[in-house]
Amino acid sequence: MIYNDEMETLPREALEALQLKRLQNTVERVYNLVPFYRRKFEEAKVKPEDIKSLDDLKRLPFTTKQDLRDNYPFGLFTIPLEQVVRVHASSGTTGKPTVVGYSKRDVDVWSDLMARSLAATGVTKGDIIQNAYGYGLFTGGLGVHYGGERLGATVIPISGGNTKKQIMIMKDFGSTVLTATPSYTLYLAETMEEMGIKREELKLKVGILGAEPWSDEMRKAIEEKLGIDALDIYGLSEIMGPGVAIECIEAKNGLHIWEDAFIPEIIDPETGKVLPDGEEGELVITTILKEAIPLIRYRTRDITRIIKEPCKCGRTHRRIERIKGRTDDMLIIRGVNIFPSQIESLLMETEGVEPHYQIIVDRVNNLDTMEIIVEVSENIFSDEIKHLQKLKERIEKDIKDLYGITVKVTLSEPKTLQRFEGKAKRVIDKRKI
Amino acid sequence: MKRIRQISVFVENRPGRLLEVVDLLGKNGINIKALSLADSSDFGIVRLVVKGVDDAIKVLKENGFTVRETPIIACMIEDKPGSLAKILRTLAENEINIEYMYGFASPIEGKAVMVFKFSETEKAQEILNKNNIKMLTQEEIREI
Repeated sequence: MIYNDEMETLPREALEALQLKRLQNTVERVYNLVPFYRRKFEEAKVKPEDIKSLDDLKRLPFTTKQDLRDNYPFGLFTIPLEQVVRVHASSGTTGKPTVVGYSKRDVDVWSDLMARSLAATGVTKGDIIQNAYGYGLFTGGLGVHYGGERLGATVIPISGGNTKKQIMIMKDFGSTVLTATPSYTLYLAETMEEMGIKREELKLKVGILGAEPWSDEMRKAIEEKLGIDALDIYGLSEIMGPGVAIECIEAKNGLHIWEDAFIPEIIDPETGKVLPDGEEGELVITTILKEAIPLIRYRTRDITRIIKEPCKCGRTHRRIERIKGRTDDMLIIRGVNIFPSQIESLLMETEGVEPHYQIIVDRVNNLDTMEIIVEVSENIFSDEIKHLQKLKERIEKDIKDLYGITVKVTLSEPKTLQRFEGKAKRVIDKRKI
Repeated sequence: MKRIRQISVFVENRPGRLLEVVDLLGKNGINIKALSLADSSDFGIVRLVVKGVDDAIKVLKENGFTVRETPIIACMIEDKPGSLAKILRTLAENEINIEYMYGFASPIEGKAVMVFKFSETEKAQEILNKNNIKMLTQEEIREI
């Protein structure tokens, strides 16, 4: 279902004209109100009046996560705190968190975009949304919550964790929509199996999953286990939160980025050069509708490409491909670039292997080593050592053949890999460079 | 079909892991009749013949172990020099391949009990029958 028919199917020409107008307003706003931007623009020798077309966007300097940290907590806000009605922050695993603020209108726009996103996955006001994204400083919980309410659906603000209770509520309340991270969704499905609850006992029909990169194979596994459509949602707190881009149920192929609020670009992460549509690189987003903390050319560090071909759903907003990984997740093993998502796809293609794995990268005698720890489930367990050895060797050989790197596969007992009820910790890099 | 039920448990190769399996069974009053440990560099498989197979599987699974049940053959032989060689010779002459084998902890006086996993179980059973080698049933195991 299309929530905002006029805006979502706006002809490209009109959409781009709207983008330019909003971009100009945003650039003017940050130049006048935020000393950081004024300084950066001056360094780049560009003034707001130089932005005459969307093509001029590339003359503006990038903004990075480090810039947000340097201006911690409120240095990039364009409005006084009295007008800020909400703050969120990203988990600061290293150093300070990055803080974002929302004006009343920002929350309103976010709710709208999130309602659009939910509607694109087929959710209607008759649905019951079990929102298992964390509530708190993380944007996932409240983002989905406000969007669900805006759409008129029933929202269960259960937040993450407490898995057995989640399942009980899902069954008893007849939840039809699950919003969660893909790794948590799989964990939920597994716990359900353990509890002896069959998918037929649930009313679940769609899962809107995001906040971490996942693969198409993982989608298949989730759809199979829960008997639902699993759709990808994209967002990041710096830009807004969930609802920046969404996969539509009609095509289930790539995520529509709401271009009336965001301008996406794909750049070469090394050189910063803008790449043409269709080429893979780092996603850069400029917010053009935000009041409290607009971001100019924000480097998301997410790797994807823009799909410019029109979508069969009728929306004119371009799609980005499923996020392949993050520039900082990319592992360089003896000079070979590899993303954890590629390992995940390969493991899931190996019959019976549960997608519970962890990658450990280390450097021994100046050589990079990669170990993949795979949990042994009942599906692949055998009473004979040689069968398990063969499985191990097959995974090692497949990775060698496909990516040209030598890895060690270690089989582990199930549930020994730490389960994160939020985002999955897939990679441990012990290298000290 | 004279098969007995063997339980296999996946264990990581680290100190105390076998103890945990055995201790868990002990605390739940499950007696181990035979046990063997197969190992590779980083993991092992504990194979067990127990009294109370269903309880053992349940308790192991509840404690997060990966468990599998396999039908195997248990043979009773004389507890004297040369009797194992005799049965192995019979099997070899008939080209029966043994995947693995191990012995019982406390068999009947004067007898020894060996359990076997063959590549071709049906054929092995036929040969053993023909050569009058006594195979035990699950009920008989319980009484030992």
